[in-house]
Amino acid sequence: MDLRAWNRLLWGLAVVLNAVALYMVFFYAPVEIQMGAVQKIFYYHVPSASSAYVLLFLAFVFSILYLWREDPTYDLLAYTTAEVGFVFLTIVLVTGPVWGRSAWGKWWVWEPRLTSALILWLMYSAYFLLRLFSRHEARSARVAAVVAIIAFFDVPIVHKAIEWWGSVVHPKKVVLEPPMLRTFFVSMVAVFALAAALTLTRYMVGKAEERHLTGGEVAP
Amino acid sequence: MSYLRVVALIFTKDFKEELRRKENVLSALLFAFLSLVLFAFALDPTRVDLNQTGSGLLWLIVLFAGSLFMGASFRKEMENGTLQALLLTPTDRSAIFLGKFLVNLVFLLFLEALLLFFAFLLLNFRPGPALGPLALSWIAVTVGYAALGTLFSALIANVHGGQVIYPILLFPVLIPLFIAAATLTQDALAGTLTLGSQWLRLVALFDTLFVTASLFLFEYAVEE
Repeated sequence: MDLRAWNRLLWGLAVVLNAVALYMVFFYAPVEIQMGAVQKIFYYHVPSASSAYVLLFLAFVFSILYLWREDPTYDLLAYTTAEVGFVFLTIVLVTGPVWGRSAWGKWWVWEPRLTSALILWLMYSAYFLLRLFSRHEARSARVAAVVAIIAFFDVPIVHKAIEWWGSVVHPKKVVLEPPMLRTFFVSMVAVFALAAALTLTRYMVGKAEERHLTGGEVAP
Repeated sequence: MSYLRVVALIFTKDFKEELRRKENVLSALLFAFLSLVLFAFALDPTRVDLNQTGSGLLWLIVLFAGSLFMGASFRKEMENGTLQALLLTPTDRSAIFLGKFLVNLVFLLFLEALLLFFAFLLLNFRPGPALGPLALSWIAVTVGYAALGTLFSALIANVHGGQVIYPILLFPVLIPLFIAAATLTQDALAGTLTLGSQWLRLVALFDTLFVTASLFLFEYAVEE
């Protein structure tokens, strides 16, 4: 199967799965007693966080591979995964406060996981700013790869530091009713399918841009 | 030429250069002093006590003034067209990094000493017996700061508009170090800082990790 077929398949999966997930979120999963309907944001907040972290981890791996092998495809893969990961991280930071308002009574609390996500978001904002500034430069990819690697190593230290510094924490263990658990599982798969579809499409766009810039022949 | 000899030569070269050019040294020092004066106006020194909760503010000044100085570390080599020559040094590239890192480290420590002195003079900063623990924690934090500052300076040396991106790129990565610095300063002043402090361990981990990472990554940061 070529990339286009994969792309169609992934998008098909993502659309169907998200339709099912949304149906379950609104009509199947029960309303949480304390937080009310707002708790339902959890079904997209948590999977978005997981997708973001998986994608940013991949960006780290592709950055290392790029420095090692110097293959531009790895650079494109690093850029692609970082970009889609950044989008999901943004979703986490937008949905977090909405949920936090009902869970903690405040829009924002300086809680380790949320704050780490914010700092990671700041690091990757700088990463994209750097790529924007250096786009006409040959070393751009290498410079970006170094930043992605440093950012990755920093995240656990950031998390530890904020944990010691702050006081409020996410619930360590969430107890979910079986219907909630099933909904959560489906929405997790749905968000990952969406992330995969977005990543692949972004990758194909990147490849097309490359062909356009180098004047190469267009793929069949 | 042995590795250490190259480190020493680059250190001496840069050190002399900074002293003779003066512009980088003076602008960073003046900026730090100016910030201190502005803090006095922003905070009402009769109410905000630098010996207690305000101590983290001193690190804010170190962060901003330090980045002003370190950002130029490699940019000046680009401007003078000497980066290529420097990279031709027949030894491991990390020697260049170490030389530059040491210059930045020495300068930052000097800037910090001056800053504390003027805080003592102008803002009633009274470390007293806390001076020892304070010095220890500030040196420990400055090592990590200088390492990443030097590496990022090399990264943006060629980038158009690098001066603008430099602090935006550097500061988020430094956040854990900054939290540690602010907390350690408060602990030192309160007299509760011990060698077993978890924050000191965090700083030690940060320093070790990023000095090592910088030595490895520097090669890629400057390669054409």
